[in-house]
Amino acid sequence: MTAPATGVSFRPGELETRPDGTGNLLGSRCRACGAHFFPIREACAGCLSDDLETVRFSTEGVLYTFSIVRQSIPAFEVPYALGYVDFPENVRIMGQISGCDFDDIKIGMAMELSLEPFGEDEDGNAMTGYRFRPVEAHND
Amino acid sequence: MTDVHVVGVGMTRFGKHPDSDASDLGAEALHGAVADADIDPRVIEAAYCGHVFQGMVTGQRILAQVGLAGLPLSNVENACSSGATAIREASLAIRAGEHDVVIAIGTEHLTSKFSGALTPDPSDPEAAVGATMPGVYAMRARRYMEEFGMTREQLALIPVKNKKNASQNPLAHFRKEITVEEVLASRPIADPLRLHDCSPVTDGAAAVIVMSDKAAKKYANGRGIRLAASTLRSGSVDVEPTSMTYEPLTWVTALEAYEKAGIGPEDVDFAEVHDCFSIAEVLRVEGLGLFEQGQYPWAVERGEADINGRLPINPSGGLIGKGHPLGGTGVAQVVELVRQLRGEAGSRQIEGARVGVAHCRGGKAVGIEGAACTVQILVR
Repeated sequence: MTAPATGVSFRPGELETRPDGTGNLLGSRCRACGAHFFPIREACAGCLSDDLETVRFSTEGVLYTFSIVRQSIPAFEVPYALGYVDFPENVRIMGQISGCDFDDIKIGMAMELSLEPFGEDEDGNAMTGYRFRPVEAHND
Repeated sequence: MTDVHVVGVGMTRFGKHPDSDASDLGAEALHGAVADADIDPRVIEAAYCGHVFQGMVTGQRILAQVGLAGLPLSNVENACSSGATAIREASLAIRAGEHDVVIAIGTEHLTSKFSGALTPDPSDPEAAVGATMPGVYAMRARRYMEEFGMTREQLALIPVKNKKNASQNPLAHFRKEITVEEVLASRPIADPLRLHDCSPVTDGAAAVIVMSDKAAKKYANGRGIRLAASTLRSGSVDVEPTSMTYEPLTWVTALEAYEKAGIGPEDVDFAEVHDCFSIAEVLRVEGLGLFEQGQYPWAVERGEADINGRLPINPSGGLIGKGHPLGGTGVAQVVELVRQLRGEAGSRQIEGARVGVAHCRGGKAVGIEGAACTVQILVR
């Protein structure tokens, strides 16, 4: 397994990290109609209510689609796997995929949130970001 | 309310222009449109200039080069729909009765601003985890293959078709035909997409002059092509995960255009669509209602989208063959529509074309299906 990620969240408004190494992606839930959004929004796109609460999303979902990115910007070392995961709250979130070979990635796989080292901030401090990994990956 | 007529069109060669900048290219396109319209440039009353990465007041720099500084001018940014949005703004100024002769310019000197994979704005949460535009379209291609059984070879037929068309377009970035084998052997960019599936980094500009009924009567000598609709939509926020193999944004933008033009998709004779990637052409034409969802790759295989086919798509070579200078793209599509509808498209002429559609879609931001979408319908 990857070493526990101990840095600060790479984007605190979107990823909450806790001292024990756990964390959640954050978004909005509309109190009026129940719709969920990632990232946090000011108003509901479904009913326009501004009565939104910040919620922690589930940490498991299903892979909708993916790609192996082989050309990117300098901030990201290639190749890396990129995918969209559908969560039970009815939100789809993009993230990189870790914890398995590229050839083993399949549409429909059960995925879980994985907090991992994710670069450094401007002062050189380690940051924690998220990737998605197959749920089976930690059972070895 | 007056109709809008496209009376003059011009564009530069698309490709790499190391010795020019965006305003040089824009000025060349403007001169081309003025010459084509055969008007005194002083009759132009207002200008709109679409570009993405060219910095402040690019449009003013163009007008200053050609001696037209002083006109009301707006610079327009709407990602890859910037040029098409400039045309829409020009058409609105005419429909509103404010002006009779307006020029819309789209320009981009992309090779000096950027190389490699385009990404969403760095502030975007998806850019922060490594989203690239090829990566996003690759994911859509993967899903389309899973849902509809499209093969990698079928997808390769789209760049093969578009580069064949581009070989007949003297202003295209690429003039060489390619084979399916060459597509499949090209460098992987974002699986399953390869280099030949992607539109290139291109410099270029295009310009169109639009006129009211009154001005067209005075200046067009019967050469005007009617801009029957020019619609624009921005993407809505998803309230639940939606299909990435269908484009409601393209459809709602098209539907409004069809209604305004008083036609339906069945009346369209040919289209220029935003094939920034091979899979994008599939999603565009199905979103426009020109082909059934899940069917286009098979239609391409049967030759239906060829220049001599049932419904030619991207006769100019499209973004993949002609090139994709972001701001220039949407204007260049209308240039192609006008040349086809006038019967001036040479060896890539579509016989009997009467109704043409141009479609642009640009930009990516988290949680929305697409950022900016335009549809223009031109009728001879």
